[in-house]
Amino acid sequence: MRRAGLLLGVILLTLNGCAFSRGTLGEEIKTETVNSIKKGVTTRADVLAQLGAPDRLLQLNGRDLFQYYRYDAKVGSLLLILINFSRVSVKSDDLFIIINHEGIVEEVIASKRTGNLEFRFWPFGD
Amino acid sequence: MSRHTASPTVLFVAILAMPLSGCNVARLTINTPLTPDSVSFITAGQTTLTDVVTKLGAPDSITEAERGTVVTYRFLNAKYARVNFGWLVKPWSPVDPDLVFSRSGMGTDALELLCDSNWVVTHQAFVRHRPDPLFTPYPF
Repeated sequence: MRRAGLLLGVILLTLNGCAFSRGTLGEEIKTETVNSIKKGVTTRADVLAQLGAPDRLLQLNGRDLFQYYRYDAKVGSLLLILINFSRVSVKSDDLFIIINHEGIVEEVIASKRTGNLEFRFWPFGD
Repeated sequence: MSRHTASPTVLFVAILAMPLSGCNVARLTINTPLTPDSVSFITAGQTTLTDVVTKLGAPDSITEAERGTVVTYRFLNAKYARVNFGWLVKPWSPVDPDLVFSRSGMGTDALELLCDSNWVVTHQAFVRHRPDPLFTPYPF
């Protein structure tokens, strides 16, 4: 009890403050929207109607490659009197849709990395 | 230790710590840094892009090349450390002195895969092979 009180006292006396910040870029790519895009069935018009214009449009061996992305950044800071710790974690959700010459979806590549993005302030380790 | 002796100890620790203030340790990570071990499952001529996406997620870019499609995974692991030794003399100085040592290391890298027309990985390589940076404020 006394040790816990001492530890709490040290933390309170050395804790200058803490901060949490967050920034996002792009619209959220919903999982159900991605799941509704079927290879060999969904058309270019369907994709544009559901997701809007892509963030990047590339040519891939004569086929169209639509890329949609969203970035999420979380910043945690622990401001002590002795030392400050802070960590910025950035992850992205990416969706690639390859559309063939007939305007039909040929391939869908997607992943949602931002789902497990956490606020962290400890800069050491992984 | 009684309650009456604990408070001066805590205060003493805090007073000792105050002149040393001015240290910063920060880190920036973009995506999960990949290592040769984490991509060892990729076998040229056998592993498909679907296998790679299942384990690593979607790439950051897909571009066309003369001999196939280049798939790129980018990641960054930056570390920053800063010490302000000016804080040591701050309690006795009429001005606010600074003597700052700081250093940052950018462990930026990318994994590139070359895929054939059947989306089978034919080649793979890390772009820079940069070592993991350290938290070292000494800049010299």
